[in-house]
Amino acid sequence: MNTTFRRGRAAAVAAVTMSLVLAAAACSGKASEGGGDGDVKTGPGVTDDKITVTALTDLTGVYAALGKGVTQAQKLYFDGLNKQGGVCGRDVELVVRDHGYDVQKALAAYSEMAPKSAAIPQLIGSPITMALRSRIENDKLLTIPQAWAHTLLGSKYVQVTGTTYDIDMINAISFLRDKQGVKSGDTIGHLRLEGDYGQSALAGVKYAAEKGGLKVAEQQVKPTDADMTAQVAAFRRANVKAILVSVAPRQAASLVGVAAASGLKVPMVGSNSAFAQQLLATPAGPAFEASYYIAQASPPISADVPGLKKLAADYQAAYKGEPLDLSVVSGYSTAAVIGEALKRACAKKDLTREGIVNAHRDGTTVDLGLGLPKEDYTQWTKAAARATYISRPDKNVLGGTKVEVASFESPEAKSYDPPAG
Amino acid sequence: MSGLIEVLVNGISSGAVYALIALGFVIIFKATEVINFAHPSLLLAGGYAVAELHDDIGFWLALLVGIATTAVLAALVEMLVLRRMRGRDHSVLSIVTIGVDIVLTVELARRIGTRVLPIGDPWGSAVVRFGDVTIAQTRIAAIVVAFVAIAAFLLAFKYTSWGVAMRATAEKRETAALMGVRLGRVSAGAWAVAGVFAVLAAVFLCVFPTPGLDRTVSFAALKALPAAVLGGIDSTTGALVGGLLIGITEAAVIGYQGDIGLFSHGFADVAPYLVMIVVLLVRPAGLFGTREAARV
Amino acid sequence: MSRKLLWVGAAVLLVLPPFYLDAFWLQSGLFAMSAAIGAIGLNVLTGAAGQLSLGHAFFLALGAYGYIWLAGGDERTAGIELTGLGLPTLLAAVLAVLLAGLVGGLFAPLAGRLRGASLGIATLALVFLGQHVLFRAEGVTGGANGRDVPPLNVFGLEFADSPEPVLVLGIPFNGLEKLWFLGLVLLAGAAWFARGVLASRPGRALNTIRDHEIAAGALGVPVARTRAAAFVLSSMYAGLAGVLFALIYRRTVPDTFGLALSLDYLAMIVIGGLGTVGGAVLGAVFVSMLQPLLTRYADGIPFVAASGSAGPSPAEAARIIYGVVFVAVLLFLPTGLAGGLSRLTSRLRRRRPGTTPNPPASNPSREESTA
Repeated sequence: MNTTFRRGRAAAVAAVTMSLVLAAAACSGKASEGGGDGDVKTGPGVTDDKITVTALTDLTGVYAALGKGVTQAQKLYFDGLNKQGGVCGRDVELVVRDHGYDVQKALAAYSEMAPKSAAIPQLIGSPITMALRSRIENDKLLTIPQAWAHTLLGSKYVQVTGTTYDIDMINAISFLRDKQGVKSGDTIGHLRLEGDYGQSALAGVKYAAEKGGLKVAEQQVKPTDADMTAQVAAFRRANVKAILVSVAPRQAASLVGVAAASGLKVPMVGSNSAFAQQLLATPAGPAFEASYYIAQASPPISADVPGLKKLAADYQAAYKGEPLDLSVVSGYSTAAVIGEALKRACAKKDLTREGIVNAHRDGTTVDLGLGLPKEDYTQWTKAAARATYISRPDKNVLGGTKVEVASFESPEAKSYDPPAG
Repeated sequence: MSGLIEVLVNGISSGAVYALIALGFVIIFKATEVINFAHPSLLLAGGYAVAELHDDIGFWLALLVGIATTAVLAALVEMLVLRRMRGRDHSVLSIVTIGVDIVLTVELARRIGTRVLPIGDPWGSAVVRFGDVTIAQTRIAAIVVAFVAIAAFLLAFKYTSWGVAMRATAEKRETAALMGVRLGRVSAGAWAVAGVFAVLAAVFLCVFPTPGLDRTVSFAALKALPAAVLGGIDSTTGALVGGLLIGITEAAVIGYQGDIGLFSHGFADVAPYLVMIVVLLVRPAGLFGTREAARV
Repeated sequence: MSRKLLWVGAAVLLVLPPFYLDAFWLQSGLFAMSAAIGAIGLNVLTGAAGQLSLGHAFFLALGAYGYIWLAGGDERTAGIELTGLGLPTLLAAVLAVLLAGLVGGLFAPLAGRLRGASLGIATLALVFLGQHVLFRAEGVTGGANGRDVPPLNVFGLEFADSPEPVLVLGIPFNGLEKLWFLGLVLLAGAAWFARGVLASRPGRALNTIRDHEIAAGALGVPVARTRAAAFVLSSMYAGLAGVLFALIYRRTVPDTFGLALSLDYLAMIVIGGLGTVGGAVLGAVFVSMLQPLLTRYADGIPFVAASGSAGPSPAEAARIIYGVVFVAVLLFLPTGLAGGLSRLTSRLRRRRPGTTPNPPASNPSREESTA
């Protein structure tokens, strides 16, 4: 065999290819980085005619209902913004990446889009936000998670909007004591999911219960559980006077249905993630209308606010037949937070990532006319707002929920100091 | 005491539903030696058909149509995919069902979207009370329907010609074929029967106390897989016993989880697997499974 | 072109990506390398020895979390007290692989006795029990939120991003660029070792057990012990894949290591081709790259609506196409991608005899002899 010849040829080929490679590498596009055109300083994600922002959302996983509503509402906002001329003469483009609530897929999508984005107006999932947090801080990307656990606080670049779950629960307990006859010495039940959402809510429940002299009966469930019979039995044994609900809509429906059927007639207050309009069409619907309330920072879309009416009309025009639920307000208002930050960064002629974050944190609050409480973005270790709406399901109103108690801030919520994550 | 009875009834009721699913796994395994990873999507398909149709044609008719479509769908999977791969390694056949499951589940989940579909059953959220004990009517219905269906199957398995052919096939494929058993018909039939059981299970997974059908219903199939293994993947009795065992364990762990301590949250999901490993250590073929004759 | 030239060309091509491709591609490619290592291990067990394992995800988790715990320090995040031994990272990586092997060894009494589908189902239990423990053992794993992965540091070379990355030929070399070369070395080593095992005595023993257990016993092959050894080896490969996986993503959550991951691995070896190293690698690349690629470029697929509007979304379409291709490969390529590829090349060679001046390579690939 002529191995020497072969080896020689192989080596030659390798050497030639290698040198070609290295020569080419020197002019590879990877080495360059953006800068700016004399007038406005720009960073990654900003070109001469376009600003790219990325939504890392869930369109195929367990939070697909939330993800779809939020994404469509955000598209609506940015389309409107672009019709008015965009920001700094540039269109804002919303790129959507679906991660199906899978952390690894979200990490991959982030790796793809982060280098090309100026901000992240939507990030669904507590575990995903936690997983990306250190990278977001490294990349200085202003990010708005669609999750409200207080453990997400504490990062300059991650803006949790509105109230956190613990504060909603504190205000909910205040509502139960003031309006629903729960008094000192009573036991209240708390049904919660394992993980951040449930944990955060529990922190608030425990705090408010201690302040009000209440005992707490806890029941923890998994996201895949769908039958709450055993939990209702346990609440009945504990003789609870009210139940706080920090689970997914599916578990909430089972809880409400089983409680009604077994004669446990107590008021229940859920977090914003513990209700979905679609549940009113199920057999549990009437029970929801009879005894269920929702505690959250933003008003239901049926509230008597002109801005909301306009949003509802625009949304229905753009997406015929799509449900007008809580996710629409949430998506629109969070997109607006990014939009406003971009506008102010533009005014300061600094569209770098640092410039966008600083513009966002500069203390200006903008009233979108959506009935949202005033939010304070200057501090990132505390929740942006402490006032909560209490609403209740009603299948005859737009969006399926109506205002029960207008936005209020209980004394306990005022004095509460959430442990930062 | 009333608590214990409620736990037992709930356990037997969900156990009966698991048994229906486990039996599906067993029947398919006996006929084709395939672990059907597409079973979750069959469950979803049946439930979806009933949920979509009941408004227009009533629950019972919708159930019949649902059963028919799912049985046909299951048989089609066998005829269009598995039959064309006959003679290949059995693990390959099992794996191809993963691909089938992906396609079916994504399409069904897309159709269901973000809705929660009521199944339209006649029992609603009505309950029966015996003194202190409150039991949902759906639980009783689940027990009755499951046991009637399983009994009917076991009788058919024993006395009809299809049952005899199927048992012969499970015993020794080649010999059965030589004796004139038409293997294709037996396999497709087995898949169809498993599909029928899947629909029945899906209906009872979506009635009160759960809110209705959504895309997560298919997860229940995975809970029933250990039931099938526990009893022995080739034993119909085993599926029944395994299903009940898992249903009752689960109900007991959930019912008394406050008493077992916080660490046990979610323990219900793994208790079956712990039991399974112990059982397999003692009896590698499962409680009622056929033991391999040859040992080395 | 001689075979050797092909190999050299391939090697050069594999060195290129860090100089040209962005983070998305590097991450996907690295993920495929990690998957390939795990798949090679599974192929030794399932392909060569005929033992179906659904527990591969569990051993990947052992590798990933073993490394994190051994190398990580005590810290507190999001209200959870995390513990760790703080060992040097290289040592931690080696120990994590050994840990996976050790636990695989503990499972040996079952792995040796059960065969085929029964083992598959018993190992299914490992995945569910393992995930339960991962979710509960918050001090080690960080619970449902997961935990950051300490970057690997080999004699002062740190595989992490830095504010001022080293420039290699004008290209900033960050964590992923460096990891790319580590991944290549590990994959090459893993493939070389597995080919050695499969082509020698132990490999033949495994094949004999797969094809005829009783005959193997009669020929003096210690059946239970050989099976258990294959299980341990495959666990260690999974452990190594887990370590690399953790290093690539810099964060792991227990959710990842579920049944779906185990099924993905089975799909890899079956799609690629059972029993061969090349098959495992091809299958791993196929399964781990196809879906992200489809998702990324799904906007271009006809009949697909944009994200967030009616009709199948790009993500859904990508998953459906993935499923269809999955079934189609199994239906129409009985020997997997590897078999299909070698048939294709041999057909091409036959059709154009004039283009091969050298006689066919003197050493036929070992893959073909073990297939």
